[in-house]
Amino acid sequence: MIKTKDLHIGYHRPLLAVENLDLEAAVYILVGRNGSGKSTFLKTISGQIQPISGSVELDGSDINQLAVNEIPKKIAFVQSHFPTVDFLRVSEYIALGRSPHSNYFGKLSSADEEAVNEAIELLGLADFKNRFTDQLSDGERQLVSIARAFAQGTEVIALDEPTAFLDYKNKALILEKLIELAKKHGKCIVLSSHDIDQSLNSSCPFLIVNEKTKTVELHSESIDKPALLKKAFG
Amino acid sequence: MTATSIRNRILIWTLIVLLPVIALLHLFAGQITISFGDFLDSIFNFDGNNLDHVIMLELRIPRMATALIAGAGLSIAGLLMQTLFNNPLAGPYVLGINSGASLFVAFALMTGIPFFASDLGLIANALIGAFLFGMIIVFFSSIIRQQISLLLIGLMLGSFTSAIVTILQSVSGLQELKLFTLWTFGSLQKVSLDQLPILIITLAITILGAFLVVKPLNLLVLGSGEAKLLGVRIKRVRFFIILITALITGVITAYCGPIAFVGLAIPNLIRILLKTQNHAILIFVSLLCGGIFLLICDIIIQLLESSFLIPINAFTSIIGAPFVILLVLKRLK
Repeated sequence: MIKTKDLHIGYHRPLLAVENLDLEAAVYILVGRNGSGKSTFLKTISGQIQPISGSVELDGSDINQLAVNEIPKKIAFVQSHFPTVDFLRVSEYIALGRSPHSNYFGKLSSADEEAVNEAIELLGLADFKNRFTDQLSDGERQLVSIARAFAQGTEVIALDEPTAFLDYKNKALILEKLIELAKKHGKCIVLSSHDIDQSLNSSCPFLIVNEKTKTVELHSESIDKPALLKKAFG
Repeated sequence: MTATSIRNRILIWTLIVLLPVIALLHLFAGQITISFGDFLDSIFNFDGNNLDHVIMLELRIPRMATALIAGAGLSIAGLLMQTLFNNPLAGPYVLGINSGASLFVAFALMTGIPFFASDLGLIANALIGAFLFGMIIVFFSSIIRQQISLLLIGLMLGSFTSAIVTILQSVSGLQELKLFTLWTFGSLQKVSLDQLPILIITLAITILGAFLVVKPLNLLVLGSGEAKLLGVRIKRVRFFIILITALITGVITAYCGPIAFVGLAIPNLIRILLKTQNHAILIFVSLLCGGIFLLICDIIIQLLESSFLIPINAFTSIIGAPFVILLVLKRLK
């Protein structure tokens, strides 16, 4: 689903090299110290910034060859902050995820509406789908953001620190939901996180920004905490 | 159907009925009493020797249509700018689009060159000024992050413009000075029947243009970053919105002078009333509410006309400024 080849990333000058990756349906947890380039990596694989060199393939297409309105059909991106908007209901917010598929005026087809309802069901949001988004708690906001990304119908979802502002219980809930999406719906999910303990418990594969070699490395086999800390934080 | 959508339907239908009623009331609000029969005759059996017919067809109908078009157009312009800049306090007046048009109109009127003071000259100048200042705001919006900074830049553009206008005033002749001062008061009475088509076509282009970008507008409420992630071609949409905003603001400013606060207050008011971010609805209701608002303002002005004359710009500011203060207080809470 995500393939990289000879990829070097950074803003204007190389920051990190990326191991040649071939990521399939699973949740990949991206770890690294602050400022190590996690966001740069996520932005590069989602086409927001150009690679310095090398290529990123999403679902068989080179992301840099895709038009701006084609990229959101391949990858959904969840930012760490939730936009504060007055008078926007949860269901309407999730429906905006269908924009890449809807017609010129943004009118939803019955298939679009089905996708929105499925996302609402899947993330357990039926009870507050009519609430305004500015009335949600931090945990609810993350669930709603993930629902929008799911409704977008892409095979790949990237999330920039989705659990950053959450308490322990909500962090666990979000990770659990994402693992469910990857397993049951065949999604390839990449998320950045600082919650090493929780991530280790999840037994998800890691993408580690190696502090020493300045490389993004994939660790599919289990890794213990000291080894992970040493690689990511030196 | 939710309770809000039923309420919104009732509200929209009320406005649809209210608009022609208010427009009709406006036609009969002047000092000279004209019968309904004469009103109908002025349209269907016009008699050039009948003073009532002349007043109705050549003064009152153009004034009513101008109020309606200016109110509707400025409201749509304000809505588009608020969504584009993701800022509820944005509007053609606050962000300096009007200032741009005013500055260029000032140049036009006070140079004393006849072409500039002609209709075409005024419109061309107002359009160039509005578009130029629109692009300046777009430039600043792309390099600054805080919403408040953009408003301050708009304010500074306004101050800068006033300073230049003051200099122009101090060096211009008495006749030019009078012409310009009268223009700054704002007026809905300068548009003749022959000129109305220009306003009607401009409003039609604005409405059509606004509906063409409904989908990007609905996504822009999330901020330009999120909108881009969902496939909006930001630069193209931004340029298009500035273009249509400058067009309607420029033409209205050229004909009616700077009319403040309509573009700022009405879109905020309708968002609060309708509790929606669906721009297909917001554009349509801005059109209705903006038209009704300016018609009512002008009816009140006409009713007070026998005692004292209030310029339309002053009147909309008197109503609009407290509303904006309320809005800011509500947001700061």
